[in-house]
Amino acid sequence: MTGLLPTLLRRLGFYALATWAALTLNFVVPRLMPGDPAQAIFARFQGSLDPAALDAMRTAFGVSDTPIWSQYFQYLLHTAQGELGTSLVYFPAPVTEVIGTGLLWTVFLAGVSVVLAFVVGSALGAWAAWRRGGWLDRIGPPLLALIGAFPYFWLAMVAVWALGFQLGWFPVRHAYGVDVSPGWSLAFLVSMTQHAVLPAGTMVLASLGGWLLTMRNTMVGVLDTDAVRYAHIRGLPPHRILWHYAVRNAMLPSLTSFGMAIGFVLSGALLTEIVFGYPGQGYLLLQAVRGQDYPLLQGLFLTISLAVLAANFGVDVLTLALDPRTRR
Amino acid sequence: MMRALWENPQARAGLVVFGAMLAVALVGPFLVGDPDAFVARPLSPPSMDHLLGTTGQGQDVLAQTVVGARTTLGLGVLVGLLVVAIGSVVGGLAGYFGGKVDELLSLLINVSLVLPGLPLMVVLAAYLPAGPGSMAAVLVVTGWAWNARVVRSQVLSLRKRDFVDAAIVAGESPLRVLVVEILPNMASLLGGAVIGATTYAIGAQVGLEFLGLGDLSAITWGTNLYWATNDSALLTGSWWTFVPTGAAIALTGFALALLNFGLDGVTNPALAAGAGTGAPGPQPTPVRRSP
Amino acid sequence: MNHPTTSQHAVFSLVVAAGLACAPPSHDRPEGVMVVVQEQQSAWLRNFNPFLPVGSSRWPSAAGVHEPLLIYSPMTGDYTPWLAESFRWDVPAEQLTFRLRPDVLWSDGTPLTAQDVAFTFSLIQAHKALDQGGVWKLLAAVDAPDTHTVTFRFKQPFSPGLLEVGHTPIVPEHVWSKVEDPVTFTNPDPVASGPFTEVVRFESQVFELGRNPHHRSGPTGVERLRFPAFSSNDQITLALAQGDIDWAGAFVPAVERSFIGRDPDNHHAWFPIVGDTVFLYPNTTVAPLDQPSVRKAISLAIDREKVVQVAMYDYTVPAHPTGLSDGYAEWRIDPVPEASSWVRHDPARAEQMLDDAGFPRGADGLRQNPDGTPLTIELTIPAGWSDWVRAARVIARDLRAIGIDVRVQGRDFTAWFDAVARGEFSLSLGWAASGPTPYRMYRTLMDPDGVEPIGQPAAGNWGRHASPRARALLDAFERTTDRAEHLRLAHALQAVFLEEAPALPLFPSASWGEANTRWVTGFPSEANPYARLSPNAFPEPLLVLTHLQWRDTEAAP
Repeated sequence: MTGLLPTLLRRLGFYALATWAALTLNFVVPRLMPGDPAQAIFARFQGSLDPAALDAMRTAFGVSDTPIWSQYFQYLLHTAQGELGTSLVYFPAPVTEVIGTGLLWTVFLAGVSVVLAFVVGSALGAWAAWRRGGWLDRIGPPLLALIGAFPYFWLAMVAVWALGFQLGWFPVRHAYGVDVSPGWSLAFLVSMTQHAVLPAGTMVLASLGGWLLTMRNTMVGVLDTDAVRYAHIRGLPPHRILWHYAVRNAMLPSLTSFGMAIGFVLSGALLTEIVFGYPGQGYLLLQAVRGQDYPLLQGLFLTISLAVLAANFGVDVLTLALDPRTRR
Repeated sequence: MMRALWENPQARAGLVVFGAMLAVALVGPFLVGDPDAFVARPLSPPSMDHLLGTTGQGQDVLAQTVVGARTTLGLGVLVGLLVVAIGSVVGGLAGYFGGKVDELLSLLINVSLVLPGLPLMVVLAAYLPAGPGSMAAVLVVTGWAWNARVVRSQVLSLRKRDFVDAAIVAGESPLRVLVVEILPNMASLLGGAVIGATTYAIGAQVGLEFLGLGDLSAITWGTNLYWATNDSALLTGSWWTFVPTGAAIALTGFALALLNFGLDGVTNPALAAGAGTGAPGPQPTPVRRSP
Repeated sequence: MNHPTTSQHAVFSLVVAAGLACAPPSHDRPEGVMVVVQEQQSAWLRNFNPFLPVGSSRWPSAAGVHEPLLIYSPMTGDYTPWLAESFRWDVPAEQLTFRLRPDVLWSDGTPLTAQDVAFTFSLIQAHKALDQGGVWKLLAAVDAPDTHTVTFRFKQPFSPGLLEVGHTPIVPEHVWSKVEDPVTFTNPDPVASGPFTEVVRFESQVFELGRNPHHRSGPTGVERLRFPAFSSNDQITLALAQGDIDWAGAFVPAVERSFIGRDPDNHHAWFPIVGDTVFLYPNTTVAPLDQPSVRKAISLAIDREKVVQVAMYDYTVPAHPTGLSDGYAEWRIDPVPEASSWVRHDPARAEQMLDDAGFPRGADGLRQNPDGTPLTIELTIPAGWSDWVRAARVIARDLRAIGIDVRVQGRDFTAWFDAVARGEFSLSLGWAASGPTPYRMYRTLMDPDGVEPIGQPAAGNWGRHASPRARALLDAFERTTDRAEHLRLAHALQAVFLEEAPALPLFPSASWGEANTRWVTGFPSEANPYARLSPNAFPEPLLVLTHLQWRDTEAAP
């Protein structure tokens, strides 16, 4: 079958399958690890619990001894209902509440960074391709490649030390100042922006080179085409050629990457959050891993997988809409 | 093709720097002292005795940087090759056979792609016993799918070319077609893939070790940075514990990036920086391995 | 002229915001607000249940919001009566009576009585998951004969039980009796007796506690405690250096340079060496570690000065031969005769002992078992504990120098803890319990009653060393409350320890405490050691909180 709808349905089918696979992996992977949550609880009390108390804890924490298959089906059922269980590390808070503390901040920080890096990087890349041989074209990619070659956390820590600590220009931790409270006030918005400068700035800087290069390379290819040459010959104004013919056609690969990057927003800010003490999902993940908190781990993986799948699906739809060649 | 690479200034620079790094990694450990030994007062600045000063545990920074290169680069290159090898096999099979095989393998590839890589890495690294084998396993498991997808689409398009059809009609086995006809035409793609995968492997390794999830008893670039942070490198102003390893990693990554630029430039001359002013260049012809 | 359009408004706001955002961040405090850091969390969840471990519930819950009957501090060596005004043993080691203070009110104005105390204990008896201290293993009954008297009867004579009973946080009956499930109860708006009970602000990034309007004493001028969330030690160290934290208990590397040096007048750190001793635990059920001479030889090979210098930044000192820290100075056998001390660096003697025990060096220089197989031992440690990792590396090198091939294996904390608790290890680092007397430490190390079979998790005595002589002495200890008798028994226990070498002392832990006196004064210090400075030292923070004073703003620079 060809045409838009059947292709769309086929993609949807794939994503349903991928979601199931992700859920199953979420269930299996924590259970492959040595130790079990009950021992993790025991460890947290560092041995002062007596066995009766430990058993009581196990029941309270919901650690069950039922066979793995029934646990699996319970898990699928509960997930479908949006019940993600109770966290062990943050007992007795429900997993949804724990994830809620970090979700929006990760989305904000990583989202802003990705969008900024994409826009600025692509703009620079388009300009570099337009002015072939110019200084931006010659120096830009290597310079940004050098900056991007440093480990991200290294750049972040140097930024914290130099700009935050030595010069005191920017705050070095948290998402907003502890003197203000979240709300729609100017003071809070200013504080939020101020606290995002270093983390988002370093993330943008580290990834700028990639976006620049992608756009530049595609643009170079597009600028070479007959359509553009014909536009030149026809005497169209340069900025019109740049925008209407070159950039619009060169955008598609970049847009595809952008879509994927948006999907990975929920999982990509781990190192930033750790270096900058930014209250997001990244650190929660680390704590869940260290505390063998299966429910929280599963919940976090679930949100990330769903986000990635949704973004991928969005990109697929966009590609199908924009590029008729992909409809089989 | 190697000659073309050498003549490209960027690729040449990249090869030289990376080669130097490898040389340091291979030979250097024999020239420096024991990186584990306690040699002087902790956190001493660079001096004539210790060119890069000492760490927070009194160890020689130069020795640690040089010895660290061996594990990090060694594992990085190995994982890079493995990732491309596995990705090529899976992607190649999918692209070549098409149909049901392709659907099944594509499903596998796509599912692996949408799994969140970094969190999965953190989880695996936290629970596997510390050591280079575990690190390699973690990196390969989370990294092979990207290459598989790229290889698959390239093989899919090359599969339709007439020289491949000719080889099949001539009775060559699928394996021979794949290896002899198709893969050589992807040499630059695979070369770029290895470079990219090695960069990824080095970066991911360093990241995981910085989080404390690697083998803390080993001496690698990542653990050097972990200890530097743990010993409050920046707050005590001990930049020498932090900068050399970071610079070494950056130089390596930069060299690989230059190599990649050069490779792009060689296979697609229109892309080479500063080449021409937008006038059309010759269309690159595929490298053909004559039977 | 046209009115500004919406987009022009937006651009203007953005520019203003950007401009304002460029103002450098301030490091000041609002009046009366003190910043405290104890936990490491990236986000706060609202839970003030004092019976849950720190991490599940917020740190001040058990000592700050709620209060216990008395407070023991190793700095004074004494029990400070707290909610109780006095206590006595009616029947030595078997029946304990507390007299409560008459003037204590809950934060809602109702008086605190013996009913509340009895109720608290019956609550944790009914819900075993709340009994963190394991107090109902020891108790038979709790009675409240009148409104201000509580009596505790022990199942068996157990004088150290004073600590478990005295440190249990007390909750109000009129609130908790109405709670359906105390184990999952988060106590979001605590009714409590401590100096800080009002939750004035709770966000995921920061929460603040305000004063209890009915508290009988308390800090002067400190109106609120502010708790910003810090997720890592590096973050805490940085904030301390910037002067953003007033009270913390973090391990700060190179504290002179990174913290004190930044503001010598106001930045104070005090790390008294009164914590648990860190031991190298051999698994005494596994050959060749089942031989005391081998264990002693291993101990003689370790250069503890180097361990302390490299792993602990010289914050502590090599352990005393008996394993007791300076906090037990009056209990120790001092000096320990050299012949019986194996807690020193003497590699020559170590080599001699191994040779005599039948472990010769092979052709490759490494030692072999009597049957000819190479002597290889694995040293397991939690991978994330960097100070222990450093210590383990030094120890491995020292042991290699006398020919023992030691491999350091780092494992994730939970996996490590699981393995050592089950006895599935050869060598590991570990701590031993401390308390008002040496009783707890030696019980952890030598008590046959604490030995579990390999594969069963044990609460203590991971090395599984069973000493019947120690048990007899511990029994006698439990049965008496006479201090002179305790002293004699402690000496006897030390003699057994020196002879049997169940575990190898490395160094005593320091108690990490940092204070910033720019805004608040009254912290304990070396000059004024009324308590430990560290907020980790439950329940001493109550002693500290009630001593604090807000500084005059004119005096602050």
